[in-house]
Amino acid sequence: MLSAAVTTVLFFALLALAVAFAVATVLTRRIFRSAIYLMGTLATSAAFYVMLGAEFLAGVQILVYVGGIVVLIVFAVMLTSSGEMLEDHPSALRRFLGFVVAAGFCATTVFVCFLTEFKSVAADKAVHAGDAAAIGRKLLDRGAEGYVLPFEIISLLLLCVVIAAIVIARKTGAAAGSGAGAGEQG
Amino acid sequence: MIEFLASYEPGVVTWLMLPAVLFAIGIYGLLTRRNAVGILISAELAINSAAMNFVIFNRFITPAKVDGQVMSLFIIAAAAAEVVVGVAIFVMLFKHRRTMDVTRMDAMRR
Repeated sequence: MLSAAVTTVLFFALLALAVAFAVATVLTRRIFRSAIYLMGTLATSAAFYVMLGAEFLAGVQILVYVGGIVVLIVFAVMLTSSGEMLEDHPSALRRFLGFVVAAGFCATTVFVCFLTEFKSVAADKAVHAGDAAAIGRKLLDRGAEGYVLPFEIISLLLLCVVIAAIVIARKTGAAAGSGAGAGEQG
Repeated sequence: MIEFLASYEPGVVTWLMLPAVLFAIGIYGLLTRRNAVGILISAELAINSAAMNFVIFNRFITPAKVDGQVMSLFIIAAAAAEVVVGVAIFVMLFKHRRTMDVTRMDAMRR
């Protein structure tokens, strides 16, 4: 009883926080602040993962999203001097159309959610299977229910991305002239 | 008080409202931003809410398995890959065009 009450309070408090951060992310005119608000949204998402019993995923979320992706975005803001550039106010038509599309999507999803009958399992009967060992066994399972092939494909994708990022962002010989190779960056 | 709060413990439908709202906010950002980095940030919001959907279904529909969490891991990896390539492209574009305004990047349309 008490834990259910605590879950309710935590859920709605974090919900308000996450939605506030997300709205601030898309409404602020300074891109740098937008990146910081995005960090807040992702951190609250990690808190939701903990509430859902996915502690390992919450750790990965903090490590990869908050520690990696947001830092990369901040680097992008600095390198492109978007920090000084203020987003001009979008025109009323753009804002109206964006709002209509977003509200339409949200209304449709909520409507479908309420119509659907979910075969929800009671929380008391739930087996806690969210530990890292179970995820690791699932990832490397070569059986019919395992994910070893997607796991290998993801590793290949990450390798391709590292190479692609270096190739795209390095100085090409024609563009850099005689200084090619001296100041390579990836 | 405690009974009142406990009677409102979020079920699967209430939980699913959260990613739906976050995704809608991400769509709004995608459609109204003009700075390329801002669009990338809005896309991250949407991707994050998609990953959260998998975890919610994992928790409420198949709590004994971890398939949903594995899918979320794949989504996070793909999102990281997307951001790395996106940032590289943006830095290169900024070097060539000195702008991040996506409405002025129309070289392939002309």
